[in-house]
Amino acid sequence: MDSVVITITSGKGGVGKTTTTANIGTALALLGKKVVIADADIGLRNLDIVLGLENRIVYDSVDFIEGRCKLRQALIRDKRAGELYLLPAAQTRDKTAIKPQQMVDMINELRDEFHYILIDSPAGIEQGFQTAIAPADRVIVIINPEVSSVRDADRVIGLVEAHQKGPAMLIVNRIDSARVKKKDMLSVEDITEILSSQVIGIVPEDEEILSSTNRGQPVVLNSKGSAAQAYRDIARRIVGESVPLTMPSTGSFWQKLFGRA
Amino acid sequence: MISIKGLRQGLLILFSDAENATWATQLDELKVKLEQSGSFFQNARVAFDVRGLSLSLDDLQIAKTLLESYRVNLWAIASQNDKTIANTRRMNLATDPNNEEMPSLVTDDIGTLKENPFAATAEGSDGIFLQRLVRSGQTLRHPGHIVIIGDVHPGAELIAGSDIIVWGKLQGAAHAGSTGNDKAIVCALDLAPSILRIGNTTRRVPADKKRKYPKPEMAKIVNQEMNIIEWTP
Ligand SMILES: Nc1ncnc2c1ncn2[C@@H]1O[C@H](COP(=O)(O)OP(=O)(O)O)[C@@H](O)[C@H]1O
Ligand SMILES: [Mg+2]
Repeated sequence: MDSVVITITSGKGGVGKTTTTANIGTALALLGKKVVIADADIGLRNLDIVLGLENRIVYDSVDFIEGRCKLRQALIRDKRAGELYLLPAAQTRDKTAIKPQQMVDMINELRDEFHYILIDSPAGIEQGFQTAIAPADRVIVIINPEVSSVRDADRVIGLVEAHQKGPAMLIVNRIDSARVKKKDMLSVEDITEILSSQVIGIVPEDEEILSSTNRGQPVVLNSKGSAAQAYRDIARRIVGESVPLTMPSTGSFWQKLFGRA
Repeated sequence: MISIKGLRQGLLILFSDAENATWATQLDELKVKLEQSGSFFQNARVAFDVRGLSLSLDDLQIAKTLLESYRVNLWAIASQNDKTIANTRRMNLATDPNNEEMPSLVTDDIGTLKENPFAATAEGSDGIFLQRLVRSGQTLRHPGHIVIIGDVHPGAELIAGSDIIVWGKLQGAAHAGSTGNDKAIVCALDLAPSILRIGNTTRRVPADKKRKYPKPEMAKIVNQEMNIIEWTP
């Protein structure tokens, strides 16, 4: 099978890597693709929580690496989205538990059976980043529209290039069009100009993300909201459809209510 | 008898294995170079090529300690001598300075720029010519000139023994003449580095030096002062 391995990373934590991985993975599966989303953020794992699958974990990737199970046994199927599987990370281990070459071998075992393998990576400054990008065919860097996040992203894009995994692609997450208009926030154009990298998605700030995370239900499963739509668009771009990059119409609940968005 | 080369993975120091070239004299020579080279070596990553020299664990440890006292990190030793190779391994150092999987998270020397074909051809020459951008966290270090076609981002660092020429926007830190050469120059189409150093003279450029229509400029030392003049390339 022609599989594509995509590692999702960022300059620092908390920018939306896990949310993005869960939603793009689910959206790809909803497009009929066979997908694995692998959690490589060992010790800080939460992909399982965002997907609402934490109670179903029996084995994890470290169990497989250390020979306690077959890779198949560690995969958890998420039936809500067709052929979607989670490969969980170990909660109780540190990020050195898997070496880069072990990660490559493990992911290679999945390549025959799946179209897309997404890897939720630790941030670029953290241990474990090298392991998470080792098997990648492509790397996506998540950024928030802030100067510090863009600067951190620049560093990670450089590291991605240094590991011969470039050019990295960007997803701008948590953008708020109203604040961009008021010049309170960097625009996508500013970010592209500063980083000289290609943007493959623009995801708005959306309060739905928090509630869906708490329910363990990625927004792409059932929401018509703007973030859900943005994630679906990214999935379609990944499979090769040409979907124009548009600025999502956001604004807060109040702005929508009063029609000022 | 030792010589220094800019390698894609960092700096390479070549030793001689001629009859009269002892380890001790060559280390003395290295010490003089480290002493005279000002900040050129600071935080650099270096590899040795010791050819056929037969070196004990102590010999290697002395060299490593010497480098560390100048804040230089020794990461690899290439050798054709079996005993030296074995001792290199015992010190947990790499034996192949051209190793593609060098520990790139330590510092990002020229090594990170290896996808660029020009970097390879410039090895050991008077300068390095790169057609690419240099990102935050990356350090480019060369004993000769550094010529870049592309931007140098904030947080990036260029350290050249001689001149620095950037055909693009130069942000980040630039240090020309880092071996103590006051005659070196720094030129850029948009000269806006956070720190500019030539030889031993430093100048901080105010962060608001953001111009809508930047013009090419050149920095050079005139009467011990940093001068910035129009650059008409
Ligand atoms: N587009 C968004 N709108 C609103 N909140 C978001 C958005 N993306 C992420 N978040 C929130 O930001 C926090 C960090 O997200 P997460 O995906 O865990 O980041 P990371 O994996 O990079 O550490 C979470 O509380 C998440 O709900
Ligand atoms: Mg996360």
